[in-house]
Amino acid sequence: MLTAQQTEVLQAAINRIIPPDESPGGWDAGAGDYLLRQLDRGGDLSHFAEFYAKGLDALNDEARTESWAAFATMDDAAQDALLARVEADEVTAKWPVEPSVFFRRLVEHTMEGFYGDPGNGGNRDAVSWQMIGFEVRG
Amino acid sequence: MASQANRYDVIIVGAGAGGGVAAGVLAEAGKRVLLIERGRSLSFEEIGRDHLRNQRLSQHGHNAGPDIVGNPRVSVDGRGRARTIRPHEGGYHNNAACVGGGTRVYGAQAWRFMPQDFRMASTYGVPQGSSLADWPISYEDLEPYYERAEWEVGVAGDRAAMTHLPSYRRDYPMPSIPVNQQGRVYRRGASAIGWHTLPVPLLINTTEYNGRAACHQCQHCVGFACPTDAKNGTQNTLIPRAVATGRCESVTEAMVERIETDGAGRVVGVAYFDREGTRTEARAEVVVLSAGATETARLLLNSATAAEPQGIGNTHDQVGRNLQGHYYPGVVGLFSEPMFDGLGPGVTTATCRFNHGNDGVIGGGMLADEFIVLPIIFQKRMLPPDLPKWGAANKAFMRDSYRYISDIKGPVQDIPSPEARVTVDPQVRDRWGIPVVRLSGTTHPETVRTAAFMWERAKEWVLASGAVKVWGKPPELMLSGGQHQAGTCRMGDDPRTSVVDAHGRVHGHNNLYIADASVHVTNGGFNPVLTILALSFRTAEHIAQSW
Repeated sequence: MLTAQQTEVLQAAINRIIPPDESPGGWDAGAGDYLLRQLDRGGDLSHFAEFYAKGLDALNDEARTESWAAFATMDDAAQDALLARVEADEVTAKWPVEPSVFFRRLVEHTMEGFYGDPGNGGNRDAVSWQMIGFEVRG
Repeated sequence: MASQANRYDVIIVGAGAGGGVAAGVLAEAGKRVLLIERGRSLSFEEIGRDHLRNQRLSQHGHNAGPDIVGNPRVSVDGRGRARTIRPHEGGYHNNAACVGGGTRVYGAQAWRFMPQDFRMASTYGVPQGSSLADWPISYEDLEPYYERAEWEVGVAGDRAAMTHLPSYRRDYPMPSIPVNQQGRVYRRGASAIGWHTLPVPLLINTTEYNGRAACHQCQHCVGFACPTDAKNGTQNTLIPRAVATGRCESVTEAMVERIETDGAGRVVGVAYFDREGTRTEARAEVVVLSAGATETARLLLNSATAAEPQGIGNTHDQVGRNLQGHYYPGVVGLFSEPMFDGLGPGVTTATCRFNHGNDGVIGGGMLADEFIVLPIIFQKRMLPPDLPKWGAANKAFMRDSYRYISDIKGPVQDIPSPEARVTVDPQVRDRWGIPVVRLSGTTHPETVRTAAFMWERAKEWVLASGAVKVWGKPPELMLSGGQHQAGTCRMGDDPRTSVVDAHGRVHGHNNLYIADASVHVTNGGFNPVLTILALSFRTAEHIAQSW
């Protein structure tokens, strides 16, 4: 599974994809729990585990190349700007995976963890459903 | 050889809409029936409410079969590149494989086709390259069986509102589902531009009916099973009726390998693999195929004999051609008033103003509002294209707009192409070693023109209803099929251009029938299930009366 450093990068990235505001951010809402569960052995994204590990390392390398700082320690605006460049394949570090493909998958899976049903391991206490007004009655 | 215990009057392959009705009608008519289903009988709990694995969004799997492992198909793209795909992946054109088939988890819209839908070639002419044809039967021929389906499976609707059809002899057994907030807005919008709307007829109990409860208007209807068992499919109507006669034996998790024939090419039964993988032969006087438009064609093609070396019923190379489904052009709108009130199933309001008689295009389709949209589907498919895909703006939009966004869409009548087809792949086999379905071709370009026309009408309706912003992709040429798959063994009087006769009997055989959407000559501008049910009532009644 992911190293402590990769998990830190993941947490920071998830919190920029779905930032905390008046309602919880992606990480606190369990999007990361969903992702880690699916990446683990037997999970539906387990075939992406290595891809994620490489992509998260590359994201951190990108941050260090650019600002001599770990991605997780950058401020929100700098993280957003860096992710936007990754999304557009405008990178300077050497990426073993295609940056935009990595980021697109990370966004897609983060959204699944945040807006999917709590039974999938994310969306803690249906917090995203409360936020948007999707009610389950019956 | 089949033992005495494996002898039946009728073997039915597939326990979905068509097969379930055939089982009920034939068992009640005194026939000994074997109903073979490759999927399982699924409980409400087994189908579950997984938002990432269901018949509406199969991102990582699905909830009603077939199993992800061991059931591949091959999809061929426009450049001839073939790839092997799994049941939950795009291009597979899956329909649920379980007892009840698609009716176990569908949205249950219960539309009759219109009289013109049976006469498309004579109404519009045949565009070059299309195999468009008239049905050998008319609306009037099918009308009594539509009525039977409406009463015996159970439809809620309003006969008086169905002004696009000849008057009904009998009203629906239950009143329409109550209109919800989005329905009220769309009815007001349509009225402002002079469009007639009607309540969507649904195979859902709105009162207690057939010993089961009324709908509680939950938020997980289409793609899932019903918590109050108010959604009517064959699994809770005709199949239990068949079993109650004591004459219907049903086997599940059983995959039919081929149709068995005698030395003269006469159909004598089927060979299937049971759930332990044991190959079993069963014999019957009559075999009915109800496996759906892709799997029924596959079974015929995989049953070649000395007399029919290209597959049973395929002497004229018709089996598997003319695959149709529905384009669903749609437009999403952001409204200044709430559209979501949480009352499911969601769809309440339609217009049939554009099913026919549209200038410059062939046919058309029904337009309706939408089922309740799960939040993750909303995130993946319904956001405006100019919205950032992530970040603060995306989150804020989700928070502010989920209850204010709604879409209009509808099924467009496919203009068939003989090149849109099901064949069997020369290499790829399923877990039983049976050659799998290979899907290739696209619909006829005229379908895209009609779909583009309907897309404009959807936009017109959304705007007339007060949307402050609209978006949605215009239709593009593709293979159509999916859950509304049809047309691969179409009906006709001429064996050179069709596979079955007007009673669903395969040309050249007196005891092999098809009762599913394969026999649809055209697929209407409507959800096809009521037509599948009605045709199966008609075919099964014919079989019962013929011996």
